[in-house]
Parts: sequence; C-alpha cells; structure tokens
Amino acid sequence: MALRARLAAINPERTVLLRGAVRPGILVEEAEAPFSQLPNDVFVLRWLGLGVDTDLGSTMTAEECEILYQTCGTQSFGGLDRGRSLSEMDKELVAMLQPFYTPKLNYTATPAAAMLTQVFWDEPGFGPIMVQRDQLSRSAKVMVYSYQEQGE
Amino acid sequence: MAANWFSAPAPVARRVRGYFAPVNRTAQTPVLFDPAEQGAFNLDAPPAPWISLGWIQEFTRKPASKTSSVLTGVPAATGSQVRETLEAQVSLQFLSWTKLTMALATGSQHMNLLAPASGAALAADGAQAATAVIPQTGSTATFVALASADAAKFAAGSIIALDVDYTGQTGFVGSPVAGAYVRQALTNVDYIRRVTFNVALVSQVNSTGLTLAEPLPGGAPAAGARLQAVTGFVDREGGSFYQEWSALFVMQGSQGERIFFHYPRLQTMASAEETAIPLSSKNPGGQARVLLKGQFLALPVTDPLDGERVVCYRSFLPAAQALV
Repeated sequence: MALRARLAAINPERTVLLRGAVRPGILVEEAEAPFSQLPNDVFVLRWLGLGVDTDLGSTMTAEECEILYQTCGTQSFGGLDRGRSLSEMDKELVAMLQPFYTPKLNYTATPAAAMLTQVFWDEPGFGPIMVQRDQLSRSAKVMVYSYQEQGE
Repeated sequence: MAANWFSAPAPVARRVRGYFAPVNRTAQTPVLFDPAEQGAFNLDAPPAPWISLGWIQEFTRKPASKTSSVLTGVPAATGSQVRETLEAQVSLQFLSWTKLTMALATGSQHMNLLAPASGAALAADGAQAATAVIPQTGSTATFVALASADAAKFAAGSIIALDVDYTGQTGFVGSPVAGAYVRQALTNVDYIRRVTFNVALVSQVNSTGLTLAEPLPGGAPAAGARLQAVTGFVDREGGSFYQEWSALFVMQGSQGERIFFHYPRLQTMASAEETAIPLSSKNPGGQARVLLKGQFLALPVTDPLDGERVVCYRSFLPAAQALV
C-alpha cells in the first residue's frame, strides 16, 4: 500500500482498471484473481523466499519480493517507444522504493492501524530486459524486512 | 495513557552520514553537538554550522587508548586499571570531490586555483591571479552585488572565492574557516583567497551581480572582502598545516533510531590518498570510482560536566516505543 501511494504521487497517470475500479498501476499478484498473462504497464509484486531470525529481541522476517513489469510502448508511437517506456518504469520503481522504509500497518483492522515498527528493504537488484516479440519486460528483486510485534 | 512497546534488536543501518563544522583555530573552540537538543535534526538540513558531506563509506573507528593494569599482591593480580594514553582514529571514504571533502582528505593546506592574470608566469599552485573585484553593498550569502563591468568578468557556472586581501598578517587566516597558518609574512595579496573555504558556484550572472547556486559558507561578504574566480583546487604533499574540524557521524537505523559519533576535534593525520573502486565487479580493470580517503586523529577536549578529557561522544536515540 505504501508503494501504491508513492506511485500515485510519482506518476498519477499510471493506473490499472481492476475489479471495476481505477487504481494506481501496482498490484500484488496473490491478492488478485489468477492472470493468464501479466498486464502491461503495471507493476506486479510477487512474494518469493522467506527467512526468519528468531534469535533477536523481536523476531525478524526477511521476504524476497519480485517486482515484474512489462510494456509494448504506446500506440501513438507504434510501440517504437517501448524501450523508453520500460526505462520510465525502471525510474518509477527506483523512486517508489525511496525512502527504504515505511511504517508497518495492520490491515486486518479497518481502518488500518499503525503498528510500532517499520518495514524496511534493500536497494533493488534489477534483472536483464527480456524480449518477447514487441514486448519488453524486466523484474527487480528486493529483500523486505520486518519485525514481529506483540500479538502477531 | 498507556503505551505499547517492542523489544528492538540491534540497529540495522544502510550507510553513514558525515557532517563537519570548523573548529575556531584561533580560540581553539570546537563545535559541539547536543544530541538531546539537536538529535532529531533533518539529516538533509543539519543545524548550523554543521555542513553535510553526504554519505560516506568504509567508516571505521579505531580506539587506540592504552590501558594498563595495576598489579598488587603476591602472586600479583590486577587490582585496578589505569588509562595511560587517550587516542582514537577515524577513517572513511568520501563519495564526492568537493572543496571541503578534498580539504578534509589532505594533510595540509587546501588551496583554490585562482583564475590567472593574462600572461602570468606558470606556478605549481596557480599563477598570479587576475585582479580581485569588490562586492557592492546589498550582497548576501547567495547574491554578490557587483559593478556591471566587474559582473561581466564572470560567467554562469564559474566558481568564486571571496575573502579579504592578505596584508602581512601571521597566524590562522581565512574566514569563516581557517584555511592556513602563516608563520611568517608573505607577499601574495591573494593568499587568503587561495586558502579560503568561502567558495561557491555561480548559477546566474546579470549586470547587477552574481547569483550563487549555494550560500557562501561565510554568509554575506564581510567588509574588505574581494572576489576572484576559481578554476579548481590544489593541495600538496608536505607542509606544516593540519586541518582540524569538528565531526559528526550519524547512522540512522531502520526503526528510526539514531547512533551519533561526535568528535569535537579531528585532525587530518595522513597525506592525500585516493582509492579506486571498480564500478563493475565483473570488470575490475574497467571504469573505477576514485574516492578520497580520509584518516583522522581525534584530539581531546575537557568535558565541563566532570572535567574528564575525552575524544569522542557516542550517543544513541532509541526508536520510538522501543524497550531500553
């Protein structure tokens, strides 16, 4: 949700129509109905590996997050701007991830309740550009950390 | 009102921020940092007179104080300990080359290469400079008012140095930072502007003067100050002057906690040295980032709280709601 708010500020024009609502163009794959193929011009978050360190004052969890995005460019340029479009998404992702922390919120409550700690992460590791016909795609991986609080 | 809490593990920090402030060399007065009053400062806008030098890397603290045991009894056993010497060293790498980082990372005077006069004879630390111009009234820290003929001598993008003429004085010279110690009178009228830290980049020029991209460290030009263009910087291996600065290093933890290392007096202890870090680990012989390496010796101050002599203060501001 933090990245979603940041993206809306960075590029309000990057949106996606999902379940009848126009939202900032970022979504968590597991929280939506399964896709036959990933949507273009949208950031898709996918959670991967998990690590836990229980030998601390508060248990720390580390979870790898993969952020996938792809584009065919724009119709007005006949897709010839797909390289620039992907670079724009690279730039937006770097901007979205800064600062490298956000307050931890409890979304089981409505409205979401602020917790005591912060979620934080490393710099992204970008993968190479993948080319599939006229589509360019890339993924970036970020290790996300958080502390377990009382009652969790 | 009740508060929740959590047990905070050891801080997790990405990098270290460095801030320096000039020691008043004449009065031998360092700049103090009060973590109780100033600890929550915006890391991008430190309280005056601290100057942010941005991120630094390879920050290493090396305590070098020697402690020895006082042995008593038969057989002898340590009854107590005494501190024989008080010493600490700090080393780091600056991630930028600026007037200040270069000066901090050199063992001696750091000089401005003043724009030369036409036809001046060559000199290793800059030829005789073009004549200085006089700021007019109405100048501020970010705008230097000039006569239109003088303003025409400068271009946007140029660097300027602004300080008083050298008139034969000895001792520490340069304002607001002592840039050198003059042991015997010199003859170069531009000497103080050669060593001054009062430099800035010109962002705009018009017929009324120069607009600066950053404020002059010394604020509005002082009476008697003059202005010259700077083409670059130079320092030397050798010399007898030691830079001395107050330093503050900050580690910001992932939960908002902060660790401060405050050295009231740091003197450069090594000559200028660079280290090259390849941009790509896959191509160690390729493009490399050249970093300035700083090595400092911490000098003592007497803490007025209890009269103890110390070289460093380490402070910790815990995360909100963290158990202590």
